[in-house]
Amino acid sequence: MSLKSNEGRSKQIALCLLLIILILIVAPLTGLVKQYHLHLLIMAGVNTILAISFLMLIAVGRITIGAAAFWGIGAYTSALVVTNLHISYWLALPMAGILTGIIALPVGAIILRTPGMAFVVLTMVVNMVFVETIGHVELLGGWVGLIDIPRPDPIPIPFFGTLKFGGKIPYYYLMLFLLTLTVVVFCALYQSRIGRAWRAIKLNERLAQTLGINVWKYRLLAFVVGSIFAGLIGSFFAHYFQSLEPKQFTVFKSVYIQIYGILGGLDFYIAGGAIGSVIMTFLPELLRGIAEYEPIFSGILLIMLVVFFPGGIMSLAHAGFVAENVALIIKTLKTLPLLNNLRKKG
Amino acid sequence: MAFLEVRNLTKHFGGLASLNGVSFEVYEGEIFGIIGPNGAGKTTLFNLISRFLSPSNGQIIFKERDITPLRPHEIAQLGIGRTFQNTTLFMKSTVLDNVYAGFHMSYKAGHWKAFLHTLSARKEDRIALQRANEIIEFMGIGRLKDELAENLPHGHQRILEICIALATSPELLLLDEPVTGMNPEETQYVVSLIKRLRGDKGITIVIVEHNMIVVRSLCERIVVLDSGMKIAEGLPQEVMENERVIEAYLGKEEVG
Repeated sequence: MSLKSNEGRSKQIALCLLLIILILIVAPLTGLVKQYHLHLLIMAGVNTILAISFLMLIAVGRITIGAAAFWGIGAYTSALVVTNLHISYWLALPMAGILTGIIALPVGAIILRTPGMAFVVLTMVVNMVFVETIGHVELLGGWVGLIDIPRPDPIPIPFFGTLKFGGKIPYYYLMLFLLTLTVVVFCALYQSRIGRAWRAIKLNERLAQTLGINVWKYRLLAFVVGSIFAGLIGSFFAHYFQSLEPKQFTVFKSVYIQIYGILGGLDFYIAGGAIGSVIMTFLPELLRGIAEYEPIFSGILLIMLVVFFPGGIMSLAHAGFVAENVALIIKTLKTLPLLNNLRKKG
Repeated sequence: MAFLEVRNLTKHFGGLASLNGVSFEVYEGEIFGIIGPNGAGKTTLFNLISRFLSPSNGQIIFKERDITPLRPHEIAQLGIGRTFQNTTLFMKSTVLDNVYAGFHMSYKAGHWKAFLHTLSARKEDRIALQRANEIIEFMGIGRLKDELAENLPHGHQRILEICIALATSPELLLLDEPVTGMNPEETQYVVSLIKRLRGDKGITIVIVEHNMIVVRSLCERIVVLDSGMKIAEGLPQEVMENERVIEAYLGKEEVG
């Protein structure tokens, strides 16, 4: 990991991204993607945004297991203002993001003053407090939750008619738009001097301080920006799923978000989150017959990842790990006396 | 007029006084030495000045301003740079990136401009990178700029630490044992570098050092600490002939 990003490589990455976005735009138009797969893609997109907002805290050297709370704040804000105040969804969407940020600001300001381990515990507490609050306040839907959350309002498009949020396809494109927005904003931040300050903090907090970096302030910035985008996608989720209950936003979801990040690779703040999320969204579908045991598998997976594979999937591609190991295996095989004996006999 | 003034500085760890009522003044443009046997409180003193530790008592005045209540990054913003006794670098980054990171305070463009990558923000980035290159050239490690910091030999790592501190454009530089673990040639080189920092760049330097040859050839004045107390202050030659100093420090070890 470097403090400055290489110009040439960042162009390659930008090109790759553009290609992926193009494929994602065209895919549902070909008619090859079934409704069910479209649903999984939408959920993979939601999880990706959650994962990369989680990774923004990793980028400043902090781990959160409270990410789901801010996702929930966005979801509930949006659902409640649309159902109670009857305002347009297109107003509620940015409102959800902004309100999540406003709540994240004092919360982060307080809990980011604590050292690393205490911070982890406090994020978990924040998450539990959120769930309990929603559950016990009838006005917010209580444990039963909110139902019949309206779909986003139709968008009139000149010369084209109106875009109604009937099937899954409009949702898919809205998710794609939010995902692109998130990636662009996050990349712009990581590439700027703000991103450099973040990396300095992560690599060596003491040294960063002697360079005049206000560690607390920069961490708070990452916390608030990450929360805003978690809130935005929370709003999307509320109006896509059309029902909310506190159970969806527990610490377990936060742990899942953590798995997305670790599986993909914690040092790859965008691609790592995306890969981990896609795998963890599609993989459980293969185990559907034993769905009730899924948390067990995920738990074991998390432990295995942390112990044996802390670099994540992206670390393989990065370090040429596969090629090196294949070469090593071949080399080892060649030195085996057994093989030599066989050759002599042959 | 004192540039840096330490007044009656005291630090207790539990019941133990690591530093006890130490006072001295550093003048602008001088190279000032702090010596003393192990455990005398030299590093504690540095950590107090750069505010990584809070003093139990006493004051630190920099350019007639009481900096005792400030936090470490604010100390850096005032123009006090430092290096650490244990090599402290961004180990996984290249030499150039290490120094580039040191320019954090040089940017005038606000966060929004940085985020939007405006022309002015990008120009500042380029200037910072250019100046980072100049610093590592000045310090003689220019050819190593693309090496990872962790792969450098120890001597070069210590020089890189000073490079990073220089990137913050300090007026006062605190160097904590800058030549520890270096061979005589490297030591000689770093001594000449430190002299150039004061001569060419006009930086006031406070240095904690064990190596008496270095202290003698660099420092105009020194203070001697022993068990957290100041036992002597003055010209290196005078101080080293002081009986208490010889007893506390030089008597136990061979001089030089």
